Amino acid sequence: MKEYLQVENLSFSYSRRKVLDKLTFGVRRGELVGVIGPNGAGKSTLLYLLAGLIVPESGKIVLGEKDTRFLSRRMWSQKVAMVFQEIPQNLELTSQEVIAMGRFPHIGRWQREGDVDEEKVSWAMEITSTAVFSDRLFSELSGGEKQRVMIARALAQEPELLLLDEPTSHLDVLHQLEIMDILLELRAAGVAIVSVFHDLNLVSQFCDKALLLKEGRMLSFGGVEEVMKAEEVEKLFGVEFLEATHPFSLRPFFMPLRRIKNETHRGKIHLICGGGSGSPLMRELLEAGFSLSLGVVNQLDSDEELARKLGIPVVQEKPFSPFSPSTMEEAYRLAQKADFIVIAPTYWGRGNLPNLDLAERLVLEGKAVLILEEALNPRLDYTEGAAQEKLKKIIEEGGEVIKDLSVYFSSPSS
Amino acid sequence: MNTRVKKGLTYLGFLALVLGSVFLAQGVGGGRYQLSHSLSLFFPSDLSPSEKIILFEIRLPRIVLSFLVGGSLSLGGAVLQGIFQNPLVDPYVLGISSGAALGAVIAILSGVYLGFFTVPLFAFSMALFSAFLVFYLGKIGKRFPLEVLLLAGIGVGFFFSALVSLGMFLAGEDLHQLFFWTMGGLWNSSWQEVKMILPFIVVGAPILFSFFRELNAFLLGEKVAESIGVEVEKVKKQLLFVVSLLVASAVAVSGVIGFVGLVVPHLVRLLGARDHRHLLPFSFLLGGGVLLWADTLARTILYPVELPVGIITSLLGAPFFIYLLRKRKKSL
Repeated sequence: MKEYLQVENLSFSYSRRKVLDKLTFGVRRGELVGVIGPNGAGKSTLLYLLAGLIVPESGKIVLGEKDTRFLSRRMWSQKVAMVFQEIPQNLELTSQEVIAMGRFPHIGRWQREGDVDEEKVSWAMEITSTAVFSDRLFSELSGGEKQRVMIARALAQEPELLLLDEPTSHLDVLHQLEIMDILLELRAAGVAIVSVFHDLNLVSQFCDKALLLKEGRMLSFGGVEEVMKAEEVEKLFGVEFLEATHPFSLRPFFMPLRRIKNETHRGKIHLICGGGSGSPLMRELLEAGFSLSLGVVNQLDSDEELARKLGIPVVQEKPFSPFSPSTMEEAYRLAQKADFIVIAPTYWGRGNLPNLDLAERLVLEGKAVLILEEALNPRLDYTEGAAQEKLKKIIEEGGEVIKDLSVYFSSPSS
Repeated sequence: MNTRVKKGLTYLGFLALVLGSVFLAQGVGGGRYQLSHSLSLFFPSDLSPSEKIILFEIRLPRIVLSFLVGGSLSLGGAVLQGIFQNPLVDPYVLGISSGAALGAVIAILSGVYLGFFTVPLFAFSMALFSAFLVFYLGKIGKRFPLEVLLLAGIGVGFFFSALVSLGMFLAGEDLHQLFFWTMGGLWNSSWQEVKMILPFIVVGAPILFSFFRELNAFLLGEKVAESIGVEVEKVKKQLLFVVSLLVASAVAVSGVIGFVGLVVPHLVRLLGARDHRHLLPFSFLLGGGVLLWADTLARTILYPVELPVGIITSLLGAPFFIYLLRKRKKSL
């Protein structure tokens, strides 16, 4: 299938500053393309060019095989509609009146609105669920309702290409999803859609393709799963991201990591944890400047996944298996290099009990072992007291029970 | 009731009010012709020759002219407020009033005489000249940024006003005439003035009405308007051109009458017409009606002395406007 929108070597400068540099890409009908990039990357400028609101410095925009250089303003508006980032204030017209303005490019100056116009306006209101407040004043609507009216206004233009500039900013989650639902429905109806998003997860969850824009250059363009990789996104924003798979959509999902500012090396800690008990500690300890090791944990354990993504050395056991002696040996060798052993409040079962044997062995060798108080809670013990016994023994041998780790973070000397 | 029927009835009601006003106003006034035999309007043969002259050559043209001038000024104001997206804009924002006044000053002081229409002609020419000067000064590249245009209008206006003041200072015995001209009034009305302004209205008003969709689109902001297909800069130019002609022709025959052009569009909005499809025609009708009544008061209230009509419009209109504004407690 041929692309509806074809952009070739598109460039634009604003008072001698290159805002966009030789962009080339295409969008098919029924395709949703998400544009992401840091502030000032030229995202809005790209949309303005595609809407014909500004004239390219060089390059070509082709809409449905028509070179847009010869398109009148009116014809352009019959093909392309744009939803802007700013929402008009103090607009004392009813929603319906606002939406009907979208018919402008289809009505002659001396012509009245006809049945077709009415039909298209109702269609736009239906898709955006705006019919219920069609008689209410625009200025009295909520933010989400206003945005839907603005989208309906664009739809009344019957666009073949719909452009949206951050349609979900300022909206809460529910209303963001409402907007995304509308876009998906339009995509199914065969509209080509190019939308700028500030939330890269909306792009990775909902878009077919992503266009990564940085400082006016196209970093990459293509299918979301090919293009949106942690390394790419990190390059784009200059922030570290944790990439995960969204459990429901199975699309990539990105979480920004706080930059680890504290580079001072405070010592090594070996963490005994599992089932998520280590996750909050990992972040705290890394940010406090410690280097970590972890184990033993089963594969697929959330602590194991996080540690792997954070690049922490982990000793792993096969999923749902008790820890074997050889893995325990491996963990012992790793833990020996640590300055401290920290035991997190973990659920104890037959499977992970060897971790406490490991701690006991290390404390007997004189290694400092810290037990978080909560780890002693009998509720966590599913071994009929065996874990409690072992913990007690570790304490007798010199293990220290602490309320939390904050003491150890306060100054590097501790 | 069907909204279309409702709207139709509103228009009919307004028209009936206007015609009723014309009928009542022609019966009011000093002199021998009185309301008691107003109906003679329809039976002119019953009237004496002098009454006929009062009715057909003095009052009727004046009533018609006041309506046309008031309508033009309000329509011009409504369109300009729509273009500039600014509630404080009046039809004189392009320096038309001071230009017209300067034209009148030149005509009166120079003593040039080209027939009865000398002063209106000079006023009209200078009004247009100042409007185009403002266009020229307000143009940046191919665009007319609104704030630049507004400031250019203020600048040109001040300069021409200073020249008018200078002219008045040097006027000597012509001062009285000049003074009255700058205050605005309709006391010299005849069918000649009506004929002079009518073509501009017959052509200009429908053109302006036809731009209602563009003006509505401006409510969404210029960028959005452009994106739905309005050629913003071209439309601005066209509208400013037509409004300039319309307002200049009104000023030429009436002098500078304030308030109507600024406030009547707001009255219409406060009455509920925000869609320019209705706002523009209603501004014309209401503006005409308001000036018609204001002028009727101006010529009767202190009879035989006539007040400048601008004093009446402001004196009565301003408190009423403020009352409406407070009652609504909303932005314009």
